[in-house]
Amino acid sequence: MGLEVDIIFKIAGVGIVVAFLHTILDQVGKKEYAQWVTLFGFIYILFMVANIVDDLFQKIKSVFLFQG
Amino acid sequence: MMKIIGAIIILATTSLGGMEIAKSFSERPKQLRQLKSALQSLEAEIMYGHTPLHEAARRLSEQLHQPLSTFFENFSQKLMTEETTVRDAWTTCLDDIWKRTAMKRPELEIMKQFGETLGRHDRASQQKQIMLTLTHIEREEQEARDHQLRYEKMFKSLGVLSGLLIVILLM
Repeated sequence: MGLEVDIIFKIAGVGIVVAFLHTILDQVGKKEYAQWVTLFGFIYILFMVANIVDDLFQKIKSVFLFQG
Repeated sequence: MMKIIGAIIILATTSLGGMEIAKSFSERPKQLRQLKSALQSLEAEIMYGHTPLHEAARRLSEQLHQPLSTFFENFSQKLMTEETTVRDAWTTCLDDIWKRTAMKRPELEIMKQFGETLGRHDRASQQKQIMLTLTHIEREEQEARDHQLRYEKMFKSLGVLSGLLIVILLM
């Protein structure tokens, strides 16, 4: 359970920092960089979430389906 | 424990990098202002003091701060010791010193163009050339100040935030 909480905090941290970066880059008129930063942050978190969801599906499979 | 130390080191490094870049943005208008006052003093030396160029350059080097004082000192030295034209001495001195200033390409071109005219006209035309160079530099200074307002803060916060991002990603 400890791991899950850690990952939630990590996602929140990345979200906050990326939001700040977006705001700052937007303010000085570098809109395209701001969008790239946001996009990469989003992709990174998506990968992390995909891993966790994959774990979940494996667990469900091992509980409800016959193994081997 | 090691993790925290590493995180602090990464954060400090990127913050310092951001500060350093921001510093170059705040140095540029300052140095341009100095350059402007240097040219005004040069004009005064030529128009009212009737000083020879190497002497005027030496006096300027005493009045000014680094790095411009080194420039005028080198220029004066070159004029006195070497067999060279004013234009060549001016250009080589500019190229030598430019890496150590925060100033950029356009100012270098303006100063080089000014060097072309230096010492080749009578006093009235020389004064006109100095005036022309001064207006060019003033324009650049305005632009540099605009850039400072826009980018100085950005690079500072960008340094800190990117450090924070790296730390969170590596945690």
